[in-house]
Amino acid sequence: MFRNNYDNDSVTFSPQGRIFQVEYASEAVKQGSVVVGIVSKTHAVLVALKRNAEELSSYQKKVFAIDEHLGLSIAGLASDARVLSNFMKQQSLSSRLTYGRAIPLERLVSAIGDRAQTNTQHYGKRPYGVGLLVAGVDETGPHLFEFQPSGMTQEMVACAIGARSQMARTYLERNLDEFAACGKEDLIKHGLRALKESLAQDKELTVENCSVGVVGLGKEEILEPFKLFDGQDVRQWVDLVADGTEGEGGEGGETMEVDT
Amino acid sequence: MTSIGTGYDLSNSVFSPDGRNFQVEYAVKAVENGGTSIGIRCKDGVVLAVEKVITSKLLKPGANKRIATIDRHMGAVSSGLVPDGRHFVSRAREEASSWRKVYKSPISTSDLASRMGGYLQAYTLYSSVRPFGITAIVAGWDSEVETPVDAQVGNGPSIGSGGKAEGKKYGGPGLYMIEPSGIYWGYYGAATGKGRQTAKAELEKLDLAAGTLSLEDGVKEAARIIYVAHDDNKDKEFELEMTWISNLEGPTKGRHQEVPKELLEEAERLAKKALEGDDDDEETTDKPEDKMEE
Amino acid sequence: MNHLPQAWGRPRDDVYGPYDASYLQSSHGPNQHTQSPIVTGTSVIALKFKDGVVIAADNLASYGSLARFTDVKRLRKFADSTVVGFGGDVSDMQYLDRLLISLDTEEAYSSSGHTLNAKNLHTYLAKVFYKRRSDFNPLWNQVLVAGLDGEKKPFLASADLLGTTFTSPSLATGFGAHLAQPLLRKVAPDEEAAAKLTREQAIEAVKESMKVLFYRDARSLDKYSIAVVTKDGIDLKEDEQLEKQSWAFAEGIRGYGTQVN
Repeated sequence: MFRNNYDNDSVTFSPQGRIFQVEYASEAVKQGSVVVGIVSKTHAVLVALKRNAEELSSYQKKVFAIDEHLGLSIAGLASDARVLSNFMKQQSLSSRLTYGRAIPLERLVSAIGDRAQTNTQHYGKRPYGVGLLVAGVDETGPHLFEFQPSGMTQEMVACAIGARSQMARTYLERNLDEFAACGKEDLIKHGLRALKESLAQDKELTVENCSVGVVGLGKEEILEPFKLFDGQDVRQWVDLVADGTEGEGGEGGETMEVDT
Repeated sequence: MTSIGTGYDLSNSVFSPDGRNFQVEYAVKAVENGGTSIGIRCKDGVVLAVEKVITSKLLKPGANKRIATIDRHMGAVSSGLVPDGRHFVSRAREEASSWRKVYKSPISTSDLASRMGGYLQAYTLYSSVRPFGITAIVAGWDSEVETPVDAQVGNGPSIGSGGKAEGKKYGGPGLYMIEPSGIYWGYYGAATGKGRQTAKAELEKLDLAAGTLSLEDGVKEAARIIYVAHDDNKDKEFELEMTWISNLEGPTKGRHQEVPKELLEEAERLAKKALEGDDDDEETTDKPEDKMEE
Repeated sequence: MNHLPQAWGRPRDDVYGPYDASYLQSSHGPNQHTQSPIVTGTSVIALKFKDGVVIAADNLASYGSLARFTDVKRLRKFADSTVVGFGGDVSDMQYLDRLLISLDTEEAYSSSGHTLNAKNLHTYLAKVFYKRRSDFNPLWNQVLVAGLDGEKKPFLASADLLGTTFTSPSLATGFGAHLAQPLLRKVAPDEEAAAKLTREQAIEAVKESMKVLFYRDARSLDKYSIAVVTKDGIDLKEDEQLEKQSWAFAEGIRGYGTQVN
């Protein structure tokens, strides 16, 4: 079998100028269950599909609050995500302590991007095996950022990462023009519909496997702090997008891919 | 490729028998696939421009800036691996601020290029790191008049002897391009990334060495060149991002800033018009030829 | 038992004898940082009005009682939206100014519209002061920060070498705290009164106070800087001259002029 000699570490370029270890790390992101993020002019939402190891076990947490004004959702290695989110919590807190200011999202996301880049340029380190969607509100309004293992960070209008997320992205692209004007409720509905597109055939959205995170600006630009909804708290939205209540039929994805 | 399979290309800092460092050459390959970046050194300022290929419809338009401010008077853009570009920028910012701490005044463009050249070179020396997968263009304006040192509070006695050389010219625009090997050169017009060949050909037509091009014309030329260089790659949409640094009397007062929206739009309009014009020319000149051949 | 703060935590001399510095390795006793300022600026005064803040300081840096530098700018701009007025040690002021320059440069890295407002800057400066005094290496200043807060309302606050902070519709440092503060309080006793002041009234009150300070403070100068900060930006004048001085009152002062006893 052909042996790729250029993929043993993240300090070796292939003759085409690629770094395979970094590309493999982004495969780890695709092993994680899907998460979706969308922003409007007033709100940013994160919607995630949670997985359980077995029928009787609990579900893996997918959405985390970082500070009053922001939160994130993860796809990939949860332990790597914890390292990054702990760092983000420290940075947010330090900004509040030093300046009395909520940290600008762009700066926080760049900081983890810079950290991740270091892991791709030094021997003995490995890239982070996790992708993040970071949603929040700062002085310049609501924002959504995507973080990748390469250290690439991008501001998005909407985004989906994780297993079978292409279908969710297709949904998002189709409805892109509607998002800006959406309120909180509509944004969550769009998020759940996008999530539904990415479900394996034998799966459906339930109160057990859905997480929703919301942050935004309410009346008179007052901050509505990042709030995480789980369990019965998401029923209100899960029921809204359940099969049969909407015109949208489930179009076929790849067959028989069990998402565990 | 002759390098593959020899084993000399598997680790950084290793010479091949004919004296090449393949890992550095491979890093250059990463640059050659990146979006085109250019810089133009004008008589009264410097322009930076970059072609940002839109990889997804979901990206927020106008966000995701690729040209960074290094110090108040200096900016940089790079082609290649974007996260490596950010690493470059954060190091450049550290260099600029540590220079200020020592000398209480801004770093000159040539000194910054030198420092960063040294930094990139160090990443070709060890097997424990890889070279930068970027080529960076650094632009700056070094003050042409004597400016107060940082935190200067007064001017001291207004009489007595000074130590200034009469008639000597100071400062001006600076433009440097730094490659993965750490090598750097000063340029009148610099280009790197996918469309560099086309861009270089266009830059050479401008006769920049004469030092007559004005900053505002430079902005328009830069926009046009990015559009021309992109032309071969028509299927993919792109965003144009431009920044500039003028002299102290000019619109940015020696600071590195984004080109204002109105001027950017005007430059883009002219660029598109110039492209269409080219096509028309080709069509009109081509047609008779076609007929003759037929 | 001595209850004075300066005795807190110290072994009692009457029980343990005075502190014996000869146990220390160094021959000069314990390591000491700055114990007093060297080249100093005197008062800074400031007053809020309905649209912003007026702040002023004279252009003198004294070396003890010597009027050493007479063109020193003690009002420093930050990000074209905030003015910091420095009293106290001038070299520490320069250190802080460079700190603010580097902070401003870092803020300008991203062009997406984030800036530190006066309130953020004041919080930051207070932390710097407090850190330094906790290291027993204080920055020997008292500063006034004038600008706008997050809601674009006029903001004025003080921070000093101990890390102490406070805020008020009018503030003054140094000699001004004794001489100018009562005059400014007469104009603006509380926030409501300050919110009714016009720009002209505020400038007038500050200029009048600067004049009184020059009459009574021997470490002051009649050349001064004055800045008005509003949401439209900063109007900073650095080479002003006190006008309409009248020294007639001096005639009645014992020990001055003709009346020597």
